[in-house]
Amino acid sequence: MTQRSKYKNILGLNRRNQEYIRPFNPPSAKRIADNKILTKKVLAKENIKTPEVYKLIRNKQQLKFIDWDSLPKSFVIKPNQGTGGNGIIVFYGKKKGQYAWIRPNGDIMTRNDIILHIENILDGRFSMGNRKDIAIIEERVKTAPLLKQYSYKGVPDIRVICFNGVPIMAMTRIPTKRSNGTANLHSGAICTGIDIATGITTYSMQMDTNSPFSDTYEDIDTTQDLKENKILSGIHIPEWDSILEIALKCQRVSKLGYIGVDIALDAEHGPIVFELNARPGLGIQVANKAGLRWRLEKVKDVEVKNIKHGIRLAKSLFGGEVEESIETISGRKVVTIDEKVMVFHQNKTKKKEPEKESGRAFMDTGVLTSRMSETFANRVGFLATTQYFNSLNVPRKFNSIKEAQEYIDTHLKALTLEENIKRVAKIVDGEDVKVRPVVDIKVKISGEIKDIEVVIIENSDYHLIIGREVLKGYLIDTSKTFSN
Amino acid sequence: MYYSTFTQWILEHGVPEKTLELFLAITIVATIVSIFRYLFGTKSYGIYAPILLAIAYSYTGLKYGLAITFMVITVSLLSHLVLKKIRMHYITRIAINYCLLSIALVSFIILIDELGLGLENMSTVPPLALISIAALSDFFTKQFVQKSSKSSFTALFGTVLIATAGWFVITRDYISNYVINNLWLIPLLIFANLIIGQFKGLRLKDYFRFKSVIKENDTKK
Repeated sequence: MTQRSKYKNILGLNRRNQEYIRPFNPPSAKRIADNKILTKKVLAKENIKTPEVYKLIRNKQQLKFIDWDSLPKSFVIKPNQGTGGNGIIVFYGKKKGQYAWIRPNGDIMTRNDIILHIENILDGRFSMGNRKDIAIIEERVKTAPLLKQYSYKGVPDIRVICFNGVPIMAMTRIPTKRSNGTANLHSGAICTGIDIATGITTYSMQMDTNSPFSDTYEDIDTTQDLKENKILSGIHIPEWDSILEIALKCQRVSKLGYIGVDIALDAEHGPIVFELNARPGLGIQVANKAGLRWRLEKVKDVEVKNIKHGIRLAKSLFGGEVEESIETISGRKVVTIDEKVMVFHQNKTKKKEPEKESGRAFMDTGVLTSRMSETFANRVGFLATTQYFNSLNVPRKFNSIKEAQEYIDTHLKALTLEENIKRVAKIVDGEDVKVRPVVDIKVKISGEIKDIEVVIIENSDYHLIIGREVLKGYLIDTSKTFSN
Repeated sequence: MYYSTFTQWILEHGVPEKTLELFLAITIVATIVSIFRYLFGTKSYGIYAPILLAIAYSYTGLKYGLAITFMVITVSLLSHLVLKKIRMHYITRIAINYCLLSIALVSFIILIDELGLGLENMSTVPPLALISIAALSDFFTKQFVQKSSKSSFTALFGTVLIATAGWFVITRDYISNYVINNLWLIPLLIFANLIIGQFKGLRLKDYFRFKSVIKENDTKK
């Protein structure tokens, strides 16, 4: 393939404007996206959540009558028609007993400073074409805990590009110290590509620093103020399907054929729409290491029946491609939530016995030690072990962990007498506490052979339940299920 | 100088030669701006600033022009950095900037006269050209305040680059003589802009911007 044709997958600014924005984004729809108040009104029709507005300031007269005491400690000031995040100021707290508010970098703004900033907004300093504008004072979104740990003070957001009713590409923008807590890429925020099928993050980069691709803060931005170096790839964005659904609803209600929807994950309210973009940037291609053009062309003539259909199309057309890449960059294998595994036979004595047994495993991060059903244990060579343990007549349940531990302490020698039982474990099953034997097995998960410790449990829908101890080295893809 | 019949006819109808030259220069530089924007991806302060600057340079000469540009930007930057510490309205800030700029420009001319600095005959530079370059301050400060220092400097570099290219083209005697006698070139420039206006391919800058995406696709294969 020639170098020229390789670039055919990439969408440039010329083509974006001529083939997608001009024909598919009518001026009336662009007006909605360019006006935050109008956006909120339009999205409310579809019950799409946006940050709550505390005050709207339309002129300097209104500015004189603001009840500053009625404002909460943290809030955000935005220009209604601002572009590129300019003119947005976030306040995290209030100085006790003073009319002064604290910004993410620790700077203090007094009431007079804020009034001046609002006057600048009203004068149109941050609006498109320097038109007179309206200042919005609105709720500060409180980031969901999962994403909060990766971001420096501000709110990370998720940008989803949709076209013709199909989510095309997505990325997350993570505030850094350099970006002063804003998710603005031009100010130094980090962008991370997202696999559209799974909602798992892939590559990270910073736009303006020419920093090498990396999957951790440490390599990408040494100015980070985080306590530990977090791996940015392999994060499973919560409520991924809802996010895609909201993005498509935004497209439907705004009538923007080619749209970029910015969504944040609020700790209390879940996905919340920040902004609609009628002219979304093209840097998303770099973050995803994939071209937008071929994806857009693929869905251009498709008749999308409804939102669910659009999501299904996106997942099957554009998803999963990055699976291998996730493994490469994160050094972790991707496993499905419901995975086929092979367990090697224990103490294989007879030639007729198969060397290994195929089983169905459930990846469960809710348990620490993995578990194996008794019937399956018998099939892989632990018949003598289970028979021995059952012959001990261990009570079927205990009322508390303490009670179970006391039983173990008293009967430890007998409980571990059988050669395969390395120890016994206390497990919680519903409201009961049980004492069960623990054995070592050799298992093949996602092509990798591992020696793991399992608790033999009485019964289960799955042959194996793989717990956190083993899953440390894996990423779980929840979008696929085992079907064989 | 010998003129073609059509040009002669225009001049005979009271259009001053200098005005005609100026209009032709505008059409040429405007097309250069289109080429730089849509084929190369060079950012500038819109189309007006590079045209104004290129024409100003044609009066001042490139050496003087660049020196004055440098001074205008330095003064604007310093005045912005000092004034941002004072709580005041945006327009008043710009007005003070222009006052400082006037003082600085006059001081600059005096300084050149006193010290030489290799920029002799500064006094022969037409005042309107000086003012045109000074107007760059407004574009620069506006973007500096509204967007970021980086985007403003990038656009400044693009504007000066396009203006320099424009200056080079419009100051070549053989080009200006040829164009003034071949006014059919103007519809050709319109046609060229129509073609550029339809161009959907990648801009030169895009090839650098998306290099990493191509590399990744190569490794996947």
